[in-house]
Amino acid sequence: MKWLELVQVAGATLLAAVTVVVLYSVGVRFTAIAGDSEQATPRWMKSLAYACFGLCGLAVLFGLYLIIPYFSK
Amino acid sequence: MVALVIALALFFDFTNGFHDTANAMATPIATGAIKPKTAVALAAVLNLVGAFLSTEVAKTVSGGIIKEGSDGIQITPDIIFAGLMGAILWNMITWLKGLPSSSSHALFGGLIGAAIAGIGIHSVNFESLMQKVILPAIFAPVIAGGVAYVCTRLAYALTSRHDPETGSKLTQKRGGFRTGQIFTSSLVALAHGTNDAQKTMGIITLVLIAAGTQQPGSGPQFWVIAACAFAIAIGTYAGGWRIIRTMGSGLTDVKPAQGFAAEASTASAILASSHLGFALSTTQVASGSVIGSGLGRKGTSVRWGTAGRIAVGWLFTLPAAGIVGALTALLVKTGVVGVVIAAVAGTGAVLFMFVQSRKSHVGHHNAVEVEEAGQAVRFRKKKALAASRAHKLNGGNK
Repeated sequence: MKWLELVQVAGATLLAAVTVVVLYSVGVRFTAIAGDSEQATPRWMKSLAYACFGLCGLAVLFGLYLIIPYFSK
Repeated sequence: MVALVIALALFFDFTNGFHDTANAMATPIATGAIKPKTAVALAAVLNLVGAFLSTEVAKTVSGGIIKEGSDGIQITPDIIFAGLMGAILWNMITWLKGLPSSSSHALFGGLIGAAIAGIGIHSVNFESLMQKVILPAIFAPVIAGGVAYVCTRLAYALTSRHDPETGSKLTQKRGGFRTGQIFTSSLVALAHGTNDAQKTMGIITLVLIAAGTQQPGSGPQFWVIAACAFAIAIGTYAGGWRIIRTMGSGLTDVKPAQGFAAEASTASAILASSHLGFALSTTQVASGSVIGSGLGRKGTSVRWGTAGRIAVGWLFTLPAAGIVGALTALLVKTGVVGVVIAAVAGTGAVLFMFVQSRKSHVGHHNAVEVEEAGQAVRFRKKKALAASRAHKLNGGNK
């Protein structure tokens, strides 16, 4: 039985999905905070949000890089 | 015979495409992230790209479930023809019923049935069947569902905003997830292309090898890759709207953050599993994710009746496609007349189901009741409320 592979797949799935979702959610949250017009929001909030989205995109690209055989060989 | 099998294989690829559009695009369509027609076009293009990206899966398609090779049984084009017939008919039936069912299981079922009827029960490697088909079928929805549950919880926890003083809910501003959905669902479509188009490539290559026109052990030829890529892309563009309806609104009501989490889990699961060599079915992963994300969001109910119907469909996939495959294999055994009868009967059945489907037409216009309009109004209301509250507050201060 390939239990080890099963655990590997489950672990990799969890890790990848959580990374993407957490980064994106934090990004969404920062955007929301930056969008609050009532208080004077720090400018860096917005850049922080973009940083999160960027990291999220990088994580996805890294995943693709690992998977496509053309690159990993 | 070879030409007939290749045509049938490409048609299977087409049904595979429109059967599985739902996996990638049902949730973004349901939340209004992408317009239905744009969504299927996007999915089609990404399937096309995905099919060209990797041909790793194609090399291991039959994966030893049917003992082949020099010491085992020679798979003939006849068997593959019969197997494909079973797979296509089952795909059409489940589409008519709007059930998301695994196209790869239908293919395996058809091939197994055809092999048993055409060669004998000893031709099937049951241990390999258990390991490669049945156990993954149980774990795929569980893993994907669990991950989607965790992700949905996280997404909502991280973006839930409360007023620090009063503790009342602020506007949550989760609209960003809708944009994110475009990317995650694209990833799912891409993953589907790298996975499912491969299976048809593997089949056609198998036929070419069996017919002696290609060296054993060589990879798929370029025209095979291109033909499969286009077949699946066209199928995807045709769109299985009935299944999109089931996945998008039948299982649970999908909201953007939830859809984002579900798609992220689906994409990770498919890519991770196919990369690590423990292939999971795209459809089962996607259905599991949708259910998992439905459980993860508070105040949503999962329609277990629909989920149950889907699960029953999964149970029947292998045997049903197997029976059709076996019957076709028996027909084909009788000779040329049998092949003609099987081909005509198969075409007739497909046409009949297509005509049946026209009776209650489900198209891009009515597949999912998009909540876009309703939500836009609700958002505005919230904003208006907040504005008036702020106004009052300011007024009170003065």
